[in-house]
Amino acid sequence: MEHRLANSLIMTVNERKFIESALLSDVRVDGRRPFDYRSLTIRFGSEDGSSEVQLGQTQVIGFVTGQLTQPYRDRPNEGAFAVYTEFSPMADPSFEPGRPGETAIELGRIVDRGLRESRAVDTESLCVISGKFVWSIRIDLHIIDNGGNLVDAANIAALVALSTFRRPECTLGGEDGQELIVHPPDVREPLPLILHHFPVAVTFGFIGIENTVVIDPTHYEEAVMGGSMTATLNTNGDVCAIQKAGGDGVLQSVIMQCLRIATVKAGDITSKIKDAVESYNTERSLKKIKRHKPDQQGSSDAAKQQMERLTVSSDPSGIGTQHNEHDKTNRRNNTLKSFSGGPASWDPYSRGVDGDALRTSLASRVTSLDTQKEEPVQANPEKSSSKSLDSSSFALTHEVGLDIKQSKTLKDAVKPKHKRRNKSNAS
Amino acid sequence: MEAKPSSSSPSTFIDQLVVPGDVILDLSNLTNQTLKLGGGLRQDGDSICVMKAGKLRFMKPNKYWVESSQKRYVPSAGDNVLGVVVDTKPENFLVDIKGPALAFLPVLAFEGGTRRNIPKFEVGTLLYVRVVNANTGMNPELSCMDVNGKAAEYGVLKEGYMFESSTGLSRTLLSSPPHPVLEGLGKKLSFEIAVGINGRFWVNASQSSTVILVGNAIQKSESLSLVQQKLYLEKLLKSINSD
Repeated sequence: MEHRLANSLIMTVNERKFIESALLSDVRVDGRRPFDYRSLTIRFGSEDGSSEVQLGQTQVIGFVTGQLTQPYRDRPNEGAFAVYTEFSPMADPSFEPGRPGETAIELGRIVDRGLRESRAVDTESLCVISGKFVWSIRIDLHIIDNGGNLVDAANIAALVALSTFRRPECTLGGEDGQELIVHPPDVREPLPLILHHFPVAVTFGFIGIENTVVIDPTHYEEAVMGGSMTATLNTNGDVCAIQKAGGDGVLQSVIMQCLRIATVKAGDITSKIKDAVESYNTERSLKKIKRHKPDQQGSSDAAKQQMERLTVSSDPSGIGTQHNEHDKTNRRNNTLKSFSGGPASWDPYSRGVDGDALRTSLASRVTSLDTQKEEPVQANPEKSSSKSLDSSSFALTHEVGLDIKQSKTLKDAVKPKHKRRNKSNAS
Repeated sequence: MEAKPSSSSPSTFIDQLVVPGDVILDLSNLTNQTLKLGGGLRQDGDSICVMKAGKLRFMKPNKYWVESSQKRYVPSAGDNVLGVVVDTKPENFLVDIKGPALAFLPVLAFEGGTRRNIPKFEVGTLLYVRVVNANTGMNPELSCMDVNGKAAEYGVLKEGYMFESSTGLSRTLLSSPPHPVLEGLGKKLSFEIAVGINGRFWVNASQSSTVILVGNAIQKSESLSLVQQKLYLEKLLKSINSD
């Protein structure tokens, strides 16, 4: 009993009265006017087909996945899609874990109806082999935070996730030409779904005795309102679905007025979705492009080896620039080594190592390197940089080989500092 | 891991940020002293450990506790809170104070309260009350009287709107250098405000637009720094003047 009480939304009498009385003077508790929508933020997950929609305080995550299944017998050429909702108890204490509640089912049905009845998703293009294989699309909607108007937020999350979803390409092949081949995404670019239009849900609440209309109610307003209406429309003004919940009756003229307002809002939301998806797509395609500088192809081996040794391979910046950096650092380190080669006794790594042996090994290395190093650079100082680069990188490979054999020396201790300085110079 | 300088006196940690695991006090070389530990601290053998992240507070002579901003309120005796009546029982009103359990408000805990004149509160009534008793494992006890048995300012709050905040925001609203946004708005507008330390504040004014403006300004100011708060306040006051 007490547990129940603690879980439900506790509204004071003051709040209920205030929401109604403030509406009479055309203001709402969060400072909006009756027909202002809350700010909408659309973000994307790391994978295709995922979205995160924030509408004021409400937060919904959408995720779309696809699977090859057998089609329904009466529609052998059509793919299927289904909407699943998940109401986390973290979003609102009144959501209970386990079976989906009334609101969860209603939400799923509204989103489903808006997409299905308006044929927004081209299901026929999801057919692979008629009567045998079709793609079935699953839309998962997770409510992260309930700040009111879950329907609109969930509907936007579903649309965004659907428009970024990509299914792997399928072809028939094999020996008899009847085998189904699903191409992995790195072999063939996955295909996006075909969406004919965006059916956007816009919810209105009717509050108080006078049935004052508000758009996009918050969860406090939802607790107060006598009824609500969700209209699903697209930019052309086609009404795809209407859901009228709650007991309060609404005049026909009010519904027509709501639909007019909803058309405008649907246009705004659609353009926001389209902008977000477009920027996502450009970012996605930019990720695919790999950049190589052809004149540094020869030295990439050395760079690779070095990258392994320095374990900076996690750095995703271009290979060409990185190689240049290493080149510079190496040159600097070489000069440094020739300077410190003599008094190696303060080497921090040589503790517990035979000092004499180390000194001799270091000295021999430095001299050999110096000859190798100085030769090409001094011989052709006025030659084009690319050539000197190549030859120096040749010297580098030698040096790298040497280094692998050697245990850690002062050089390793000095390296990161120089590297950092170089990076800051470059950026 | 860097070990913090463990000294015998916790003065080095007072008003500093502490995190769970910090040892603020070594008891081994402290004898014949009584310490009172508040929320977020625990005795672990011979040392006092921190259990939650926040600022370590000290009150003379020997009280220590950790203060942080959270959504859930932990009741403690002597706090002034805003409660909502959830249910009425013959002996008690059940009041929600955002704590882990509902609080009891005895029907006789009003000034001059007798069996004859029991107040009638409907479900959802907003009350400004004082926490009398708060023990773990028991429902906290409330009262609508001050220590002397006077009604003081406690009782029902009529009209207005109750806004939710974090406990940290409530504390800054009540702190002694007053909250800059609240102070600035108070100079320009006339409104009533009641702040409960449990993360609720109630605002009332003759115009509902004033209530909304004040409530939202305070809520928004939580995430702003002092400088940003001043800028925000200036902008707000300008918009009020232009209306």
